[in-house]
Amino acid sequence: MTKKPKLLKFIDILCLILVPGALVLILFYTPTERVMGSVQKVFYFHVSAAWAGMLSFLIAAAAGGVYLSTRRQKWDWLSLSSIEVGLVFGLIAILSGMIWAQPIWNTWWVWDPRLTTTAIMELIYLAYFILRSSLNTPESQARLGAVYAIVSAATVPLTFFSIRLFRTIHPVVIAAGGSGGSAFNMTPRMLLAFFVSLFVFTLLLIDLVWHRSRLAKIQAINQGEGV
Amino acid sequence: MNPFWDYLNAIWNILRKDLQVEWRGKQGVPVMLVFALLVVFLFNFALQLSPDLQAGLAAGLLWVSLAFASTLGLNRSVSLEQENKAMDGLLMAPVDRSAIFFGKFLSNFSFTFLVGLVLLPVFSLFYQQNMFKSMLVLVIILGLGAYTSLGTLLAALSIQTRTRDVLLPVLLYPLALPILIAAVEASRSILAGQPISDYQSWMTFLLACNILFTAAGLMFFETILEE
Repeated sequence: MTKKPKLLKFIDILCLILVPGALVLILFYTPTERVMGSVQKVFYFHVSAAWAGMLSFLIAAAAGGVYLSTRRQKWDWLSLSSIEVGLVFGLIAILSGMIWAQPIWNTWWVWDPRLTTTAIMELIYLAYFILRSSLNTPESQARLGAVYAIVSAATVPLTFFSIRLFRTIHPVVIAAGGSGGSAFNMTPRMLLAFFVSLFVFTLLLIDLVWHRSRLAKIQAINQGEGV
Repeated sequence: MNPFWDYLNAIWNILRKDLQVEWRGKQGVPVMLVFALLVVFLFNFALQLSPDLQAGLAAGLLWVSLAFASTLGLNRSVSLEQENKAMDGLLMAPVDRSAIFFGKFLSNFSFTFLVGLVLLPVFSLFYQQNMFKSMLVLVIILGLGAYTSLGTLLAALSIQTRTRDVLLPVLLYPLALPILIAAVEASRSILAGQPISDYQSWMTFLLACNILFTAAGLMFFETILEE
C-alpha cells in the first residue's frame, strides 16, 4: 500500500489552518461594503471557488494531453481527479453567486455570460463522468476521457466569448484601467483578504486533487489484486 | 502518385461511399428532414408561435431544428460502420485515419446541409418571410461545418461506449453551444436586414470554430478509434 507523502500531510495541515483563517479575515478584518452590505463578503470565496474550478479544468486538459503522449496511468488519475474537484468548486461558485444575486440583483438567476458559461461548463464536465462510466476498460476511459477533457477545455473560452457579445450585468471587479488607476476596485484590506482567499483555495484545490488521485491509484491497485 | 493525392482520393472514396449508401437506402436525409419538421411543429405549438414570426425567433427555430436533426445523421454515420464491423475494414485500409474523419465529416456535412436547404423554403412559407438570402446560406454552411466537424468527432467517441449513440446529444450540445449562439445571432441579423458589419464578427467566429474543430478532428480521430 502506498504511504501518504509528507508534503501532502503538510498541505493538509496548512489547509486546516488557512481555510478558517481566511474566513476570519473576511468576516472580521475586511470593511463592510458601503452599498451592498455584508452580503458582499460572499465575493471572496465566490471568486476563489470560480478560479479554482477554472484552474482545475485547465489542469485536467493538460494532464489529459500528457496522458495521451506518455500513456502513463497516473496522468489519467490526475485528469479525472481535477475534473471531479473542479466540478465541486464550480458548483460552489454558482451557489455562492446565487446567494449574492438574490438580494443584489433581486433574482437567483439571470442568463448572463458568466453564469451561463459556468453552468454550461458544469454540464460539459458532468457529461465527462457519464462518458467514463459507460466505457468498459480503464484504458479506453483514460484515452477517450483525455480527448474529451482537451476538447472541452478548448470550447469553454469560446462559449464565454460568444455569450460575452451580449450585454453583461455581472460586476467586473478586476478590470484593466479601473477607477483610481488601479486594476482592482477594492480597498487594501479587501485586496488582502481577496488574495489570501485565492491562495487558500488554490492550496485546497491542490490538496483535494492530490487526495483524489491517490484514491484513484489505490482503487486501481485493489482492483488489480482482485482479478 | 504523390501522397497528398492519395490522401484526397481516400477522403473522396469514403465520401462517395456514404453518398452512394444514402442514395440507395435513403435512410438518413429523409429521416432528418421529417424530424426537423416535427421539431418545428412541436415548437410551434409549445411556444404558440405566430405566422409573422420575428426574425430572432425564426433564426432560433431554424438552428434548433437543424441541431436536433443533425444528431440523428451523425449517429447514423458511425453506427452504420459498426454494423457488420465495417469500421474494422475502414480502419484496416492503408490510409491515414484522419482521412476517414474528413470523409465522414464531409458526408455528414452534405446531408445536414441538404436538410438546411430544404428547410429554408419551408420556413419562408410558414413564417412569411424570405429566407433565401445568400448570406444566410453562407451562415448555414459555416455553422453546420463547425457543428458537424465537432459532431463527427464526438459521434466516433460516443459509439465506443456501452450506451452507444444515446450519449451523443449529451456530449455534443453543451460543447456546440458557442457555434449555435454565433449561428443564431448571425442568422437573426441577416433576417432582420441588418448590414454585414453588424454580424461580421459572428461570421469570423464561426470560421474560427470550423478551423478549431477540424483541427481537433485531425488530431484526435486516430486516438479515439485505436484499439
